Amino acid sequence: MPVLEVEDLAVAFRGEEVVSGVSFAIERGETVALVGESGSGKSVTALSVMQLLPYRYASHPRGSIRVHGQQVVGATEDEMLKVRGERVGMVFQEPMTSLNPLHTIERQIGEILYVHRALGRSDARGRTLELLNLVALPNARERLGAYPHQLSGGQRQRVMIAMALASEPDLLIADEPTTALDVTVQAQILSLLEELRERLRMAMLLITHDLGVVRKMAHRVCVMTAGRIVEQGRAATVFNTPRHDYTRHLLAAEPGGDPVPVARGAPAVMAAKELSVRFDLGRGWFQRARHLDAVRRVDVVVRRGQTLGIVGESGSGKTTLALALLRLLASKGDIRLGELAIQGLRVKALRPLRNRMQIVFQDPYGSLPPRLSVREIIEAGLKIHRREMSPADRGRAVGRVLEDVGLEPDAQDRYPHEFSGGQRQRVAIARAIVLNPALVVLDEPTSALDVSVQAQVIDLLRDLQRRHDLAYLFISHDLKVVRAIAHELIVMKDGAIVEQGEAAQVFDAPRTDYTKALMAAAFELETLAGGAADA
Amino acid sequence: MTAGTLPMGAPREADPGAGRSWLSPLTRRRWANFRANRRAWTSLWTVAAMVVVSLFAEVVANDKPILLGFDGELYWPTLFSYPETTFGGVFETEAAYSSDAVRELIDADGWMIWPLIPFSHDTIDRYTGGVAPEAPSARHWLGTDDVARDVAARIIYGFRLSVLFGLALTFLSSIIGIAVGATQGYFGGLIDLVGQRVVEIWAGLPVLFVIIILTSLFEPNPVALLALLLLFNWMALVAVVRAEFLRTRNFDYVTAARAIGENNFTIMSRYVLPNAMVATLTYLPFLLNGAITTLTSLDFLGFGLPAGYPSLGELLAQGKANMHAPWLGLAGFFTLAVMLTLLVFVGEGVRDAFDPRRAAV
Repeated sequence: MPVLEVEDLAVAFRGEEVVSGVSFAIERGETVALVGESGSGKSVTALSVMQLLPYRYASHPRGSIRVHGQQVVGATEDEMLKVRGERVGMVFQEPMTSLNPLHTIERQIGEILYVHRALGRSDARGRTLELLNLVALPNARERLGAYPHQLSGGQRQRVMIAMALASEPDLLIADEPTTALDVTVQAQILSLLEELRERLRMAMLLITHDLGVVRKMAHRVCVMTAGRIVEQGRAATVFNTPRHDYTRHLLAAEPGGDPVPVARGAPAVMAAKELSVRFDLGRGWFQRARHLDAVRRVDVVVRRGQTLGIVGESGSGKTTLALALLRLLASKGDIRLGELAIQGLRVKALRPLRNRMQIVFQDPYGSLPPRLSVREIIEAGLKIHRREMSPADRGRAVGRVLEDVGLEPDAQDRYPHEFSGGQRQRVAIARAIVLNPALVVLDEPTSALDVSVQAQVIDLLRDLQRRHDLAYLFISHDLKVVRAIAHELIVMKDGAIVEQGEAAQVFDAPRTDYTKALMAAAFELETLAGGAADA
Repeated sequence: MTAGTLPMGAPREADPGAGRSWLSPLTRRRWANFRANRRAWTSLWTVAAMVVVSLFAEVVANDKPILLGFDGELYWPTLFSYPETTFGGVFETEAAYSSDAVRELIDADGWMIWPLIPFSHDTIDRYTGGVAPEAPSARHWLGTDDVARDVAARIIYGFRLSVLFGLALTFLSSIIGIAVGATQGYFGGLIDLVGQRVVEIWAGLPVLFVIIILTSLFEPNPVALLALLLLFNWMALVAVVRAEFLRTRNFDYVTAARAIGENNFTIMSRYVLPNAMVATLTYLPFLLNGAITTLTSLDFLGFGLPAGYPSLGELLAQGKANMHAPWLGLAGFFTLAVMLTLLVFVGEGVRDAFDPRRAAV
């Protein structure tokens, strides 16, 4: 009997079906991956198994879900508590918000043991330690009293997994378990999950949008789009001989291609020497001031028409460096925009130069002001830097730049909430390039987007670079994306440059251990001894 | 939303029902929520109707006729002033239309249309038979007060004054509060630190005593009283707006606005303020209530508007002084109770409509 059997499942929100006709089964010891882009219904399907949907307006018009033969659709809350507590464990995407910030690690896990295993205090403590050792949390004994904010992202995810395992489930549901993590940590968590599944003979339902993760982990794959499973089968078969158009589209969509070819010796658009950023962490009345050196003595040169890629894990100072270069953050060191030294300039003197350096942010939902129309958003810069333009001229300029980024000119009368993530990112790019900048800083411009949209945005960026001779400073933790666009590469760790050079050379023959570990984690999803930080 | 499955060239609606609208789906959901709240929706319209009627108090309750026909010509005594001589009288001052002499003059060769209540708030009815304060009768629906003025007329004018005063006080203190809160929240750091301390000290002043002392030094008129109350009333919104600005100033779109070279004022007013307006809007009905209550209590204590102004607080004070005339106190009480309750219902509706924990109905 399969551990989980889903048949003809449908989910409706306020009467509107968002998932329909979903059927799949998972055997003991098997990993099945639900793959799809945002909005495809994969998380909704997973939450249905746990019956954790908001049933005030969600319902299951049809279908059955059986866990070990027990029907969960329509089960009472008491029955579900038993299923959730003893049969199924779940790991969520965001380990920071999924853990209770006010409880220690011991209490988070112990709670489950009291409730479902009826263990006493000292037994529960022993079992908690066992679980933490099982998920390979370093220094588990000392960390029993730690709070979630004292752990790193990877450590928190390990605690989440330990919580899910506390009830010795037969089925582990992992909803995007590594999406919020750095690549090296991702590799470690994936191999941990793999090892646990084998050792405990669990069934695993893996929900992800990342095809690399699927390829590495899953025995069988269900490809979902628009609330339906369009293809399912053995992982190797689906990857090698995809039958459905959407699967092919998804496989082809991974960012690829090469950077725009460039001439050597182009002039520097922006250069910084010995740039440092130090954050004040505050001081008490009698304490010495504490600091965080977010960027330490970094030298950077971005040349016309070229892309400088900056890679590194979260907290390595990539974004801080970019904001400091644009003088959006206070820093020390020499910054030159073209020939002009801009470090010492006053805010007022700097303002007229802002049109030459622009920035595009990661989150297309947070980077557009929600209550301004697209036209107002884009023309705000023109009003400042091209005062001679009449309103009609500005309208034409906005229309042109929208066409440039692949949106209809009539999009300008609409508001950000009417657009999808990829389209919003295009609006953000339009806002940057309408000023004819020499340099555009792209801070993780594709990280919040679905894979197929990522590829389109990368194509667009390359095209714009070719046509306008733009210089990019491209920040990303996603090495696949960087490889598709960067000419030169800087690898950062803890605010300092670990390695830099021509992109192709760094990718093909990394010199430092850290870079090697980063590449292995990113491209093979393997952990290498040496470079990676502890998780 | 099925992002990424379609070609990017053609814009597609993220939400098919969105349409082209300034209102975000969220705002429209809030509006729908508010309308679905029958109590709040009815209260809003009732208050609005009462305010509109009271705005035309001069044609509802007045001691001059609305329209007058005399000698084949039309006169508008509520709008223009006509000397008694116009109608063949002896005095060159404005005609006293309710006096018997003028009535006889006009009735001889014309007609008059009187308002519903033929008394203004300051009309002393010399022709009534009884002793002031006089109980409700056909002539005076809610009776008269202790100087023989019509209570119904005084309530209509008093309601208008209270609401207008409350609106003005709310509006002005919101502007100041938003400006101060925005400045503190946006710049943060030392400005915020100093600002917060100043607000705290200012809020610690014994407001009532200061007002009593100041009003005893000079005879207050509505504008002076407004300024005086404004001095202590502007802190209400500072905390809310400040918190909202502290949160929003770290959003990417604020950094993006700085990156295109927007100045601080533009960023604050165009990019950040619209977010703070949500929280502000939720507070406004309650602020309005507070402002009305403040004016009423000052009037009740005798430190508010000088004698002669139609004031609900003064009516209550008369009720207290004339316990044998319960219609005074009751009329004042019910007017205030209805007005404040309706405003609280509206406020609750607004608050619930903005509450994210309440799902759409």
